[in-house]
Amino acid sequence: MSALGVLLRKELHATCTSPIAYVVGTVFLLVTGYTFSLTLFLAKVANLTYIFHQMYVLLVLLVPVLTMRAFAEERRADTLELLLTAPVREVWIVLAKFVAALALIVGLLVLSGTYAVVLGLYGEPDWAPIYGGYLGLVLLACLLIALGMLTSSLTENQVVAATTALGISLMLWFADAAAYLLPTPYDFIVLNLSLIGHFTTFVRGSLFLSDAGYYVTLSGLALFLTTRVLTAR
Amino acid sequence: MITIEHVTKLYGQTRALREITLDVARGEVLSLLGPNGSGKTTLLRLLTGYLSPTAGRLVVAGYDTVRQPMEARRQIGYVPEALPLYGHMRVCEFLAFMGRLRGLSPGTTATAIARVSDRVHLREVLTAPIRTLSRGYRQRVAIAQALVHSPAILIFDEPTNGLDPRQIIETRHLIRSLAGACTVVMSSHILSEVERTADRVAILLQGQLLGVRTVADTPDLEALFLSLT
Repeated sequence: MSALGVLLRKELHATCTSPIAYVVGTVFLLVTGYTFSLTLFLAKVANLTYIFHQMYVLLVLLVPVLTMRAFAEERRADTLELLLTAPVREVWIVLAKFVAALALIVGLLVLSGTYAVVLGLYGEPDWAPIYGGYLGLVLLACLLIALGMLTSSLTENQVVAATTALGISLMLWFADAAAYLLPTPYDFIVLNLSLIGHFTTFVRGSLFLSDAGYYVTLSGLALFLTTRVLTAR
Repeated sequence: MITIEHVTKLYGQTRALREITLDVARGEVLSLLGPNGSGKTTLLRLLTGYLSPTAGRLVVAGYDTVRQPMEARRQIGYVPEALPLYGHMRVCEFLAFMGRLRGLSPGTTATAIARVSDRVHLREVLTAPIRTLSRGYRQRVAIAQALVHSPAILIFDEPTNGLDPRQIIETRHLIRSLAGACTVVMSSHILSEVERTADRVAILLQGQLLGVRTVADTPDLEALFLSLT
């Protein structure tokens, strides 16, 4: 197994044994399950649009809690020095932590897939928005995890890391509202930074490369900057 | 085995090391001696590749620490002063993780763990979670992780810091027993420890190398240290 595999195994083990992961998972599934039940039995609507938007909000709130330990804890406990003096590239350390956190989120999304199965068994849902919604959530999770890891790499205080990541995510969320206040061409630029703007198209069942590209590009940029933070010493 | 050429390290405007030039021979135990803030830890971190020099170069076992960092790091076992360990891991899991990270194969990892745990007397706690261990055992685990891949060079930052007298003696014996097979660079601010452990001593003060002496040829290290500093 390569050093990347060794690091990934360690991170997955750390994620699976962390109480934070279980708390985040429990809150996520309880809240979405509650909303799904309400939507199904009260509104009697066979789609997951409400659930996807609620998952969006939950991911924005919960992912910073999940990622705050990534580097802040390693820095506080001085174990980062141990990793960075081993013959491993900084990018592998970053990718291992990223994949481990993403695996947890994808696991939660897979568990939430039971809602889609229930809809499929008892109704005739439009599957395109469901597939699109899940793809959008995975891409959103990638970006939120990457942002959380970036802020975690900048401090050894986990609360500061989580709060900063949450602040950046909220600013991106409300970027479209801020765009209305700006003159051209800044309004166009800021509008295109909107987190929710690029997400809603997925939930509608549409797939645009520009939306996927937004998440992939910003995630890549955040991961690149995280790696740069680790190498700049 | 180790060549340090005109190495300078700046932290912003602060000069932590100034024009350090030093060689360490194969199998030698070299101790960096100096008061707190003299640049000992910075120099050790430069050797491990954790920090990059602002100027100059460091060559470890033939590998430049900046241009060939992976190759250089494979030659080194490092015990930082803070004893950074993953408390949630068991001792054997931690040693396996560090061994695999440094390139040991699955087949050789178990043998390597058995070897180092015998060497630093860790057998009885191999399955214990690290967070439950005493300071002395944590020190042994930190040394074991540095030895697990049989490195050519060992770097100890204040290896006896916080240990009780028996543990200090055991650590000194361990370092002496490693001499010859490994090249050892350690830091200390305790004169008696240097006299009993090192072959040579490099005296640092405010980031400058004041002198390098052979311990056996320096009967009064205390007087030398006072005269230089």
